[in-house]
Amino acid sequence: MENLSSHSLSGTTKNFIDKVVSEENGRAGALLAILQRVQESHARKFLPRETLEYISQRASVPLSRLFSVVTFYALFNLEPQGRNTVCVCRGTACHTRGSSRLLEQVMMDLGLRAKEDGESDKLTATTDDGETTLRTVACFGQCALAPVVEVNHVIFGHMNERSLQRELEALSKREARP
Amino acid sequence: MSQQVSVRIDGELCTAAEGQTIYEVAQANGRSIPALCHMEGLSSAGACRLCLVEVAGIGRLLPACTTPVNTGMSVTTESENLAHHRVMALELLFVERNHICSVCVSNGHCELQALAQKLGVTHVRYPYNYPRLSVDTSHPRFVLDHNRCILCSRCVRVCDEIEGAHVWDIAARGINSMLVSDLDRPWGESENCTSCGKCVQACPTGALVEKGRAVEEMTKRNVVVTTLAAKRDAHP
Ligand code: SF4
Ligand code: FES
Ligand code: FES
Repeated sequence: MENLSSHSLSGTTKNFIDKVVSEENGRAGALLAILQRVQESHARKFLPRETLEYISQRASVPLSRLFSVVTFYALFNLEPQGRNTVCVCRGTACHTRGSSRLLEQVMMDLGLRAKEDGESDKLTATTDDGETTLRTVACFGQCALAPVVEVNHVIFGHMNERSLQRELEALSKREARP
Repeated sequence: MSQQVSVRIDGELCTAAEGQTIYEVAQANGRSIPALCHMEGLSSAGACRLCLVEVAGIGRLLPACTTPVNTGMSVTTESENLAHHRVMALELLFVERNHICSVCVSNGHCELQALAQKLGVTHVRYPYNYPRLSVDTSHPRFVLDHNRCILCSRCVRVCDEIEGAHVWDIAARGINSMLVSDLDRPWGESENCTSCGKCVQACPTGALVEKGRAVEEMTKRNVVVTTLAAKRDAHP
């Protein structure tokens, strides 16, 4: 299958994938490890189509199987992710403590709109400038701290509109710097 | 020679080989358990939940197609409780997509429809989802209509296990699950598809069909798949 469009991948990316595949192949859970390491190595933390095609060739995994795996696990992204990630918990504990209002606030603040397909309980959206990705999860396991918002993988508990505002402002200040 | 085990199926004592599934043993002993995702010659998926049976001493229903028999097992394949669950499983399949038999090319030759008739499903008690789904007509000879797909994965398995191409798989999960070819590309663009048509023959509904068929015209030949699988077993 020489003619799959892996031509747009750089030599370094290909070498990296070759290395990861040879290290992981044969181990239990190899495919997940390969996908995770390759996604992590991408500046925008996602798996472009060409990358998946190349992995499919090198690891001898059918394309549809790959697609099935990356769409099953929320961990994998098929779209470029923002430089910052804000994750609002929509679990029961956080919901009863007003997480829907926090979510609305972040969406307004970032200028994001809920998708129309009624899938508002699970959301991933990135601002047009590629700066920030907003996600929701169904519980961080930190319910005692409800409502919980995670900003760039740091957990913030007992959030209210004001403290959330502060974190978002801190983010945009960070962005402003070169 | 594999170990022999004895099991009771609806009270009748049956001998089976170790590793056989309840479904296989029941069938070998003249019982027919309803099934949609099961297909002779393919691996079992346990996707449709139509083949649920009762096993004495186990508090929940088990899928016959994926449960191996054990010595001393006592299985019930027909009961009021099972009938209730099987009807419910069918109703849930119906509400999930848009199954409009009267305009379907497979009307009269559909396993979902036939099973619903056999189990006496005259109406559906749950609200329909009416999802908006696409129809993939990009393949020169075949069509995939997601509206009629029950996600049984027979096409996925026949393409992988018999043809060796693995064009199909099921993407996402739960209510968002969807049959995809390659990286969710139009079927006609698939580099791996050999156009063998086995997925069409294996599909229990009108989801995968030949082009150019009018309503009620699409008949399927499951036996093609089963025969191929048997031949393959004979010449490994
Ligand atoms: S297309 Fe047909 S065979 Fe394939 S998963 Fe859907 S119903 Fe089953
Ligand atoms: S519900 Fe939000 S952390 Fe558990
Ligand atoms: S036939 Fe057993 S679950 Fe479908």
